[in-house]
Order: sequence, then structure tokens, then C-alpha cells
Amino acid sequence: MSVSNLLENWSKFRHTHPVEDKGHPDWEAYPSDIKWAMAIDLDACTGCNACSVACYAENNLPVVGKEKYSHGQAMHWMRIERYWDESESGFEVDQGARFLPMMCQQCEAAPCETVCPVGATNHTEDGLNSQIYNRCIGSRYCSANCPYKVRYFNWYDYPTTKDVWPSPMNEQLNPDLSVRSKGVMEKCTFCKQRTYVARNNAKTEGRPVQDGDVQTACQEACPAGAITFGNLYDPESKVAQKWQHQQVELTKEKQDKDKTEGNRLRGYRILEELRPYPSVMYLERVRESAV
Amino acid sequence: MKENDFNRRDFLKVLGWGGTAVALSGCGNTSIQDGQEIVTSYVTLPSYVIPSIANYFNSTCAQCDAGCNIMGRVREGRVLKAEGNPNSPINRGKMCGLGQSGVQAHYNPDRIRQPLLKGQAVTWEAALGAINDKLNGVKGEQVAFLTGGMSGHVQALFGNYMDALGSKNHFSYEAISPAVLRVANKKAYGMAMPRYRIDKARVVVSFGADFLGAWVSPVNFAQQYAQFRKGTRPEGRGVLVQVEPKMTLTGANADSWIGIRPGTEGMLALGVINALGSAGIKLPADIAAAVKDYTPERVGVNTGVPFERINKLATLLKERSPSLVLAGDAAEGYVNGSQNALAIAMLNHVLGNVGKTVEAAASVPFPQIAPTVGSRSSLNKLNDGLAAGKYKVVFSYGANPVFSAPAAMKFKDNFVKADFKVAFAQYLDETAQAADLVLPLDSAMEDWGTVVPEYMAAPEGSDADTYAQMSFRQPLMQKLYPDTRGVGDILLALLKQRKADEYKDFEDFYSYLHNAVLKNKVALGGKTTDDDDIFWDETLSKGIVPLKGVAGSVSAKMSAADLKLSPATGTDTNYPLRLIPAVSASMRDGRNANEPWLQESPDPLTTVVWDSWVEIHPKTAAKLGIAEGDIVEVASKSGSIKSQAYLFPGIHPDAVSVPVGYGHEGMGRYAKGVGANVFSILDPVFEQETGELALNETNVKISKTGQRVIIVKEEGPLGGSQDGRPKIAVQVQADKVDLSKEV
Repeated sequence: MSVSNLLENWSKFRHTHPVEDKGHPDWEAYPSDIKWAMAIDLDACTGCNACSVACYAENNLPVVGKEKYSHGQAMHWMRIERYWDESESGFEVDQGARFLPMMCQQCEAAPCETVCPVGATNHTEDGLNSQIYNRCIGSRYCSANCPYKVRYFNWYDYPTTKDVWPSPMNEQLNPDLSVRSKGVMEKCTFCKQRTYVARNNAKTEGRPVQDGDVQTACQEACPAGAITFGNLYDPESKVAQKWQHQQVELTKEKQDKDKTEGNRLRGYRILEELRPYPSVMYLERVRESAV
Repeated sequence: MKENDFNRRDFLKVLGWGGTAVALSGCGNTSIQDGQEIVTSYVTLPSYVIPSIANYFNSTCAQCDAGCNIMGRVREGRVLKAEGNPNSPINRGKMCGLGQSGVQAHYNPDRIRQPLLKGQAVTWEAALGAINDKLNGVKGEQVAFLTGGMSGHVQALFGNYMDALGSKNHFSYEAISPAVLRVANKKAYGMAMPRYRIDKARVVVSFGADFLGAWVSPVNFAQQYAQFRKGTRPEGRGVLVQVEPKMTLTGANADSWIGIRPGTEGMLALGVINALGSAGIKLPADIAAAVKDYTPERVGVNTGVPFERINKLATLLKERSPSLVLAGDAAEGYVNGSQNALAIAMLNHVLGNVGKTVEAAASVPFPQIAPTVGSRSSLNKLNDGLAAGKYKVVFSYGANPVFSAPAAMKFKDNFVKADFKVAFAQYLDETAQAADLVLPLDSAMEDWGTVVPEYMAAPEGSDADTYAQMSFRQPLMQKLYPDTRGVGDILLALLKQRKADEYKDFEDFYSYLHNAVLKNKVALGGKTTDDDDIFWDETLSKGIVPLKGVAGSVSAKMSAADLKLSPATGTDTNYPLRLIPAVSASMRDGRNANEPWLQESPDPLTTVVWDSWVEIHPKTAAKLGIAEGDIVEVASKSGSIKSQAYLFPGIHPDAVSVPVGYGHEGMGRYAKGVGANVFSILDPVFEQETGELALNETNVKISKTGQRVIIVKEEGPLGGSQDGRPKIAVQVQADKVDLSKEV
């Protein structure tokens, strides 16, 4: 995607999408009945890191080691952020921390997409923000423009780096997806390899994808079942029902419910006000006030 | 998850090939040595194998003792990932990070690949011959066998071997185990490990039980916890109160976290009972008399918990019933640990929780396969025997005492006194390094076995009180190395040295297991008319064998007579701080330290990776002039270690905490030299009733070394502050939301 292309088609990226269309910027050409989305219940999340390790196992993420970690080069597509209450971060705590699983939010108007000089980061018809590794030239503009900081750059050629996948550790690598090489950007794909299997199986069986056909690796592992994943366009899906109950709408940058004081719902999206229209809804962590 | 429907009979047929559940070699991964292996062409694959589509085989996780049922995802002859078995009442299809990392134990590049005699690679004949030679002329009582926790058919075989040797010296050792709790539970409830029903409780008060992290059966508890937190439950959303001197992962999820003075947990429990009495809960006369002196005001002074908070806690417990009170590591690791745990259990009795949220668990009907649980007191006995020169031949399997025993016990010095030491090991860990003979083990993904969990979770249903289970462990792929062996195979070979006739029919452990299972077909849920092969295949493919267990019962009453709570031990002016060795969910006792996913997985609370650290309260650090990243020396009477200081508000100001499991001198490239081993500096202080090492009874002093590092951690320099942005990780008060109608 060249700059001229980008400028010519700016309206597609910034105006109609996603407010009126359904997902893909060229949605009239690629109509889709799938929009993958998530709901994460922070009140169930315990911060245990099972999701993160499951992601390493599923998605061929390299272990970078202490030194590279200290340079901020860890490749954890799914990471757990831990926050303290502002008033308490200094000296005293009398309640727990706040954990937040953070991964690519698969924005509908993704800030990373518009800045890619080569169109390596683009939008799929099922509403994912995808990265084409062999088109990526490593400008890292996308990472700079990502408000969530969930894009990870391969500063090294990990398959040939010492002690990353020493034989026979490489035999564990998941053949359903590639092992990325030096100089490309990568990030959470909502376990694309799994959604593809589900879509293909459904197609073979001549039916639409149903709720429960596919689980992401993090969702599958999560001991507390905090993660819900599915098709937001399917009104029967759990994820759609959760979004609907919480009155969080994909195409709004400010939810109607938030305009009324004292609404008793807890769904929200992170940094919604920047208008990236993220596909991940979080449910606020609840704390009992009686104690 | 199932990616395709393959023909079930073919699937069973293949499982029935015996010993080769997965008979395929990975593409590009075969060693075709003069017809040693049969290479199956992709053109003539069994019908259930479609290249590029994964098959799933059920097995049992070996990463900790909870015994979660897993499915190995297998493609082209290689196991790629472990996933939870959805039919398991233990983990219900879920897995923790530690369990996920099991594949890295299997594919670990630092596994031992050949038997090593005095450091030299030898054949199995030579290795087993050496054992036979050394055992000749040695009396049964001169042989000792140290193991970790064990269960199932390997344990049955192990028992037979000990009998054949005429030795009763089996020492079952776990560096971290709820050993004190088991004894206290036996007194309080009449059973060592009842079922805890977090999911049924409206309030959970946990005294240092890290049930979401590393305590007993965390994946099971995490699922119960998720239920407990659901506002749509008839009981409403549950409230979690955590009482502990150092915040654990469970504490980090609490609605209320009480940073108590170390060792006073039992006293707080009695204070709460006292307050409950004042609030109108009817106490039995003996209990009322026992807690009479523990007024909230006095308890407040001793525990450092404001008495208003004690009264609030009592009110909460009174108003929201049923509740559940748990005693964990932090409460039992003291000289008065048993009494702490008893006082805490008494709260459950007073609140009427016993029978409601503390339920009786069933035990397996076959005592030979019932779990033998480990403790630290058994290591003391072994150590004393070794010091006295009682043992000539010592075996070690599934334990690493040279690493995890305090240096003051001089275990290594005593261990090397034995003439011949044999270590069954997957890595060249500290104990294997000190052994004369090292026998390389198969990984848990290459081996056969059965597992009976200590904590017996049950599926929902009317027969839950008699539900017990045995789980299968089966190879998920072909062995990576020809010269490793399963523990069952080794034991069988050793048994044949003693009783060749009795075991001549069993070519290998697989045939022993196969035979033992089929002999008990009816007890294992089959019918006498069932075809043996079909029964075996079906049982194995399910991975879980439900058994009609022996129902237990929990005692409804507890007398206060057993309770004589001694005050917490004081501090030492030379060593003014209390050391709390922390058990983290991923590192545990350090046996999995060579799995890099675990090293790179940040500690949930401090977010530190690839190193150990010293947690210090910011106030204490300010007093000592310590800043984050200062390398500090933590010195006890028994030794000292150095590590980086991390300022952490979730710890009592009089305590410091260092995680266990780091600081290996061996094992492999990912574990060696990473962090410091805090086990080594623990004082040899023991729990007064059980003789367990009191893990939290070491006093230390902290001094700066003058060096400083930048801590490698996940959190940024803001240290967990949201920097004024209100909507990142949002939290809401329970009365501000309506959870009852959520979907």
C-alpha cells in the first residue's frame, strides 16, 4: 500500500469504516459474516500467566533471554500487565493488584494499518488486523503507532540464535504457522491458524461457523475461563451476547451507556477515545466495598 | 478441540499396538540405522493420521502433584502442545503455565541421554549390573530409597522392589508440601485432604493458602474461584479475604488483603472467633473458653491487624454464610504451624462450614496405588541415617534434596558418605551430580504410568462422595533418545535381579501395567464379558478411570482441647527481619527451572524474569537506604545469598521474601546460575508437632553490597502505576454494578 494509494483511499480507512460497514475496508467486495472478537472478564482473571505460556506454545514465540528482555525485546504476544491502585502504589496495600491481559486488540480502524508503507499490515475480511510477514520490510512504523504496544519486532534471527530453539526443542514448533525471521514485525493473530481450521471445517460441512467451533490458545488454557472468543456478528455467540448485555458497540468511540451517570454495567474498551475501535471488550474488575 | 473425525475403531486399534501409542516418527526426524526402525511411508499411513491434521491422546500432567488430565496434540509423530482434557473433574479442560511447559521438559536439550557411572557413559547392562553388585552382601536395612510423591502402578512396583530388598527405608520427600496441614486437617476434620468448595462459599478467608498459584490443586481451585466470583450465582459474587505476611497471587486477587505479622495467623483466627462470639454466634463452651483471652484489641496488638478490621471480618463471616477458611503455606511454616492450622480450622467449625464447604473426599479402593505424599520430616530421618553411616546404597528418584535441603543440614556431605548412590534423573541436577550412578529417565511424555491425585476433585453429581479416579499416563510420541528408560521399566529390571521368576512374564513395564489393569477389569469399570483389547483401548483413550472410592467423612465437631497455641517466635536483634521463602506458581521448588518458558514468564506480582529477587517493604528499604536494584546480601545464621532488591508494598515491613527454585548449580543451560538458592540459608528450625522444616522461621539481616543493577522486569519504570490514565485496568466497587443479570 503506497502512500498515494493510502491517500486516495483515505475515506475507506477513516470515514465509513467501521462506522457503517462490516469489518473489511473493502467490505462490499468482500462481504463477510464473521467478525472475530473477544470479551475478557477481569474479575475472573487471576493474573496467573497460563494464557501467556499457552501463546508461546501455540504461536512459536521465541524465548529471548534476560539480556534481550532487558532491552524490551520480549516477544510475548499475550502479556499480563499488573497495576496497583494509584493511592497505594507507594507504601500500603489493603487489597489486591489489578491484572490485565494485553494483546493485539484487532482494531477495526487500526492505527498500525494506515502507516505501513508497504501494506504488510492490513485488515482481513473476518475483521482481523493481520500482518503479512513476507511483505514486511521492518520499518516499525506500525509499532510506533500502536497505542497498546502489542506489536513485536524480530530484532534477531531467532531460529538461528543460540539457545532459543536448540535441538530438539525445535521439534515442538507448531507447523500450522511460520517461524518468523529477522526484520519482521509480528503480533497476536487471534490464533488465525485455529480460526482457519474452524472456517474450513464449517465450509466442508456446508454450514456457518458456530459458537464453540474455535477457541484461541489463551482462552483454551485460562483456568478461570476469563476469556470469551467468537463471532460478533453471530447473535447466538457468547461473545456477542456479552457485548450486547454490556451495551458496548463496536462502531462507537464513546458508548451511549457511558453518557449516563451511574450505569451499572462494567464493559469497556481500552483507549476507545483514540477511535481505533478495538475488538476486545474488557469487563471491569470488581472489588467488594464491605471489607 | 477435534479437528477432524477419524475412524474410532482404527484409533483404538492403533492404541492397542502396545507401547507404541504413536508409532510414527517425525518427518525428517528419523534415524534409519540398519533396519532398527521401521519407517512408515506417508502413502501407507493408518487411516486416522492425515498429514497436517493433529490427533489428540489423553495423558496426565507430570509438572506438579495435582495430576491434571491432559491431551497431547500430536502431529506427524511429534507432540506439539499439551491441552486440558475437558472430561477431567480436576482441570476440566484447562491448564496452567507450568503444565503447558511440560513439552519443554520433554524436548529439553539438557536431558541426560545415557547412564552415567562416575561421570562416564555406560550401557544399561553395566549400570544395572553395578547396582546388582553393590547390593550383594548389603542387608535390607542398609538400603534407602528417597522418592518424591508417588502413586499408581509405579508405586505398586516400587513397593514390591522394596520388599524384595527387605528394606523399609522408603523416604518420601517433597521440598514444598502441605505436610503440616495434612496433620492438622486430620485432627480438625478427620481427614488429611478434604474437598474444599470455594465455588459454594460466599466468603473465602485464606490464611496464606495460595490456591490460585501453587497450593495443592491450583487449576481446579482457579475454576472454582471463577464460579465463586460470578454475580449470577444464587449466592451472589463471593468475597475473598487473604491473610498473609507476603502477598501471593491469591492475595493479589483479594478484595481485602491483610498483611499480618509472620507467625500470628492462628492468633488472628482465635481473635475472629472471639469477635464472632461477641457478635452473637453461639460458641461451644470449650471453644468459648479457649478464645476468651483473644479479644480483638489484644489480637490486634500482637498481629499488627487493626482491631476494627478484625471486627469487620467477623461481621462479614457472620452475615455471609457459608464461608470457607483455608490454612496454607504461610500459616503452617512456623514452629507453631500445626496449632496455627488448627486454630484456623476451628473457624470453619464455629461457622458451620464443615460439611458445606469442607466436604469429605473419597479415597481409592486399592491402597497399593493410593498416593504416598512427601514431606520434609522424612528427609531429616534419611539425613540422620546417612550421617550415622547406616546406609550403604541410596537411591533417589523424583527428588533433588542436595538443592532443596538447607545447607545447615549438611545433606550433601552426608549423602556422599554412602558407598553407592543412584539417581534416577532427567537432568544432571545437584543430586544427580553427587551420585555415583545416574540413570536417565524418559520424559513424562514418553513414559507409561498411572496417577492417583492426592486432592481428589469430583464431578458434580450425587455420587461425588464416593468418586475417586485413576489417570493414565501414556507416551505421546516415540522416545527421543534410545537410551533413556521409564521409571517403571527400571524398577522392573531391578526386580528381575531379585525375583526373576515372578516377573519373567513381563517384558517391560507396559506389559506389567497392561496385565495389572486387565486383571482388575471389573473394579476399573469394565464387565467380565468385555473384550480385553477393547477395554484396554477404551480405558486408555479416555485417560481417566473413575473408581468407586471409599467414602470418607468429615468430623462435625472439633474440641478445643487439642489447641494450645504458643505465641509466635520473636525476632533476633542481630537478625531483625523475617525471611519468607516464596513459592511461585511457575518455579515451585525449582524442579522445572530448566524450562525457558517458565523463566521468561514474569512473576505475576513483581514482574521480574530470569532472576531471583528480594522483596522489601518500601518503608524498611527507606530505613536501610536500599533502592530498587541494589544488590543486597541476605544473611541468616546459616548462610547468606545475594540478590537484587525489589521494593514491594505487599509485604509486612518486618519481613523480606525471596522466591525458591532459583539458584541451580546444575540442571541445564536455562537454570544454572540464574538467581540465588534461598533454601540454602534456611535455619534448621522445625515445626514442633510434625518435625517439618519451619520454612518461615529464619531471621535475616539485609545489607547493601554497593553493587546495583537495573532489574529486568515486565513492568515499566512507573512500577504499575497507570500514570493518571483512568481506563486501562479498571476496577469498580461491587455496589456500583449489577452482576446478577450478566451473561
